[in-house]
Amino acid sequence: MAFNFNWSPLTADAEFYKMAQQMLTTALNKSPKPPIIVDDILVNELNLGSVPPELEILEIGDLAEDRFRGIFKMCYSGDAFLTLKTRVQANPLNTYLFSKPSFTSPQPLAASSGLTIPLQITLSEIKLSAFIILVFSRQKGLTLVFRNDPLESLKVSSTFDSIPFVRDYLQKEIEMQLRTLMMDELPAIIHRLSLRLWCPEYRAKEDAELAEAEKLEKEEVAVDPLASPPQDAVDARGNVLNANEISTLSLDGGSEIHSLFSQKNLVRLAALTDSHRTLSLFTPSIRDAVFRAWASPSERNDSAGTSTPATPSLLRSASSPANSSTTYTFSRGSDDGNGHMPSRPSLVSLQSATTGLSLGAGRHSRSHMRKKKNRVVNLRKAKTTDDMAGESGSESASVAASEPIISTRIPEEPEDNIITPPRSPSGKVRFRTSSIDLGDSPHKFRLSTPSRSALSSKAVPEQVILDSTPTMEKDEPIIYSRARRPSLKKPQSQPEKAPAIHLTPAPILSSESLSGSGGIVEQAWVLKMAGEIARRAHDEKASREGFWSGSTVDEREETPPPAYQAKAL
Amino acid sequence: MLEFMDYVQHSFYNASHWNTENSYSQLTATARELLEFDTPRGLRLNLSSLSSPNFATSYAIGSVGLVDGALSYLYTSLPLFPVSQSGNIDLHDVIRGYRQIQELRKQEESWMWEEWQGGKRIDKRNTLFYGRLYLPQSTLEALYLRRLSPTQQLKLSAVSDSRLRNGGTILALHQYDTGKYSTETLYSTDGGLVGVRGLYNFGPDPRKGITEPPRTEDRFYGRFSAGAEMYYGALNKSGGVSFGGRFATLPAHKGVPLTATLTMNPLMGNFSTTYAVKAGKNLALCSKFDFNVYSYESDLMLGCELWRMKAKAKKIQERSMAAKLEWRLDEVQETLAEPEEVTGVLKARVDQNWRIGLLWEGRIKELLFTLASSIDMNRPDQPFRAVGLEVQYSS
Repeated sequence: MAFNFNWSPLTADAEFYKMAQQMLTTALNKSPKPPIIVDDILVNELNLGSVPPELEILEIGDLAEDRFRGIFKMCYSGDAFLTLKTRVQANPLNTYLFSKPSFTSPQPLAASSGLTIPLQITLSEIKLSAFIILVFSRQKGLTLVFRNDPLESLKVSSTFDSIPFVRDYLQKEIEMQLRTLMMDELPAIIHRLSLRLWCPEYRAKEDAELAEAEKLEKEEVAVDPLASPPQDAVDARGNVLNANEISTLSLDGGSEIHSLFSQKNLVRLAALTDSHRTLSLFTPSIRDAVFRAWASPSERNDSAGTSTPATPSLLRSASSPANSSTTYTFSRGSDDGNGHMPSRPSLVSLQSATTGLSLGAGRHSRSHMRKKKNRVVNLRKAKTTDDMAGESGSESASVAASEPIISTRIPEEPEDNIITPPRSPSGKVRFRTSSIDLGDSPHKFRLSTPSRSALSSKAVPEQVILDSTPTMEKDEPIIYSRARRPSLKKPQSQPEKAPAIHLTPAPILSSESLSGSGGIVEQAWVLKMAGEIARRAHDEKASREGFWSGSTVDEREETPPPAYQAKAL
Repeated sequence: MLEFMDYVQHSFYNASHWNTENSYSQLTATARELLEFDTPRGLRLNLSSLSSPNFATSYAIGSVGLVDGALSYLYTSLPLFPVSQSGNIDLHDVIRGYRQIQELRKQEESWMWEEWQGGKRIDKRNTLFYGRLYLPQSTLEALYLRRLSPTQQLKLSAVSDSRLRNGGTILALHQYDTGKYSTETLYSTDGGLVGVRGLYNFGPDPRKGITEPPRTEDRFYGRFSAGAEMYYGALNKSGGVSFGGRFATLPAHKGVPLTATLTMNPLMGNFSTTYAVKAGKNLALCSKFDFNVYSYESDLMLGCELWRMKAKAKKIQERSMAAKLEWRLDEVQETLAEPEEVTGVLKARVDQNWRIGLLWEGRIKELLFTLASSIDMNRPDQPFRAVGLEVQYSS
């Protein structure tokens, strides 16, 4: 076994330097600066030098093609240097007065007038020696943590080198700053960089975020997500909606949907979400709703990693009405709603919405994800299909519950089934392909923040890492309890629900379609295997292809890119 | 606009014949009022009262993001009788604009303060106590002001705040003012800062008799003053020096009143000039130019102040009934020119970076209000950086 550490290509890339400079600049300007620094700190020059650090592998914890965990000992005494530019206030009286209360200020007339001096600091002869814990996975990027304080010594040269007092002061201050930078900021920077390098979706997401932010600044008008119909809209069962059907969908048009959005319920839900945000102990009771706390025992199991069919089924089934509500919320919060989900808007937003609601915390979601991964491998069992054949969701759920030992993956499929009305095969055909990969991708989507719903469909895994907490906050306004209700109360009454499901997410369809009829599922499974084998060959192709392939790239081990599948079909 | 407590404090100075203007720190007061006025942010309400000639209270509540407030109390041993009703206060007393310097007064002799009763001196030095508690920050401000003699004053101000180093600071300021010149010595516990300021007025000495305004009308009649300040922080080994001069016309000047100042900081190479004119009865203009000879940085600021007076309804003189009955005209009455009532003052400033500050101060019924906004033209997307409204009521 050999490792090949390539130092020079990294340092030769001009793009890399530009990016690293940018990131360092933002990192340096993030924390509040002392009053003596009156301008932004700019990273003027950055060079990693030609001498690579010496690495000594101490331990390798995990090793695979796409992930790595190890502990290194690093020594560096190369020719890297860093030049910073800023402006400092030279008048000590000015900085003295800066943070003093005006009431006791001596109020000098002109003695405190400022003199700003441009300052250039060059850091060179950096000597590092550290134990590094390096974790890499293709999905989560590169995480690098210093076990100890890595900085051994460095040379600080500045504009004020001729004044010994200032020089010593700067040396001391900068060493201190650099230590915090190394320990706190650098891991974050490297992580972001790695994501950009390895996950094209992340880059796309970032760009989209930027564009989004700009757009948001310009127009903060709430947009009706249904105002502009999605390009290939599907209903809950995966049937393609024609233009007429889409037009009938509107936020306030359909009586069905309207009933979902009763003002009273909205107010209650708002109160409920607010109660999370405040310290208020008051929790408004909502009729016919399943609260997370009630389902806790099974939930806990779930998070622990064991398979619990029962809880997820509740949560999942909830998604169908939730979807519609979700979309609605988005439109208010941000206009991702229609801006960014041309291909499959409902799916994205729904999924993320459900996440916030049904999954209480990031850890849950993560555990879910883990489970899902496993599931995919022997995805479609004959057994499942049997269940599915025409049974109602509640039954299947119970089945799954009774036999969790058999396999962890089984439960999830039946859950989804709950809402699934029996369907004609014809409807499914089109979606089979997508359903196969969606079968697991939606679970990931759940983890993503709703505000980025559009993006979430792309780089999913990063969001798991980065945004698990924000997710919770942002998700709060979403309406969930109502969503859950139907699934609990009347799992059997599918026809009734059908209209409400119009906006339902693809996840549901996916699982449905999987479970829906045995033959098709088996077919799908075969396809899947084929995809698995051919996966490598199609890596590049997948990455080149748009939206769906993009989302699958990082989950390659689980699902073949749908585009590929479609061709196989 | 002056806060009520500052207003009371100024009336204490007036009542005790202390000239606050004769100090080096007030050299550029005009430019400061016209160019560096505060623009309040958010909403702020002040409720104040001078409940007795010796005691004043004030409550303030404000909201800038979160609600905060302040309680303040003031006690003075010298009974004060300023107009305290906000409906009657002369706006010239609470709104500071172009500051017309006055003729120097001859200071009272110390024996004038002596009061004897039964062979014993019973006179006391006038003192003022003032405290303000900010909530919820729990910051306490305290002020102790004592007139030591007709020419001396001691001012102790302190701030107690857990967020400050050492839990607070105290500033002691001793002022000595003879009219012809004035000196100030100060010490701050924060950094052990020691400072000296001095101002010298050229021209006739007020101690030697009353000066008469000149008869010539074509020459500038004003006063030139020069001063310097010096600070040294004993703990942080830092210091500062500045020199300054001012020429300002006196009230007897027949032409356009003007004030010009030049201050310089030789250590930092900073020069600052201001020029202010009172272009009309209700208009004052001011400009300020800063230049640093070391960094070649410069700054230009322009400001103006416009007083809006209430349009007086012309009284229609009608013959009185008595006059009609007696078949005669009314006697021509000499009506005294009533002081015009101010409805509001607009202050505006703009600097070279197109940052604009606007301030509209005035009175609505019994309430004094300040409406302020700061605008940044460099950010066209959201030019309004801050908007504030301050309302004061006092009784």
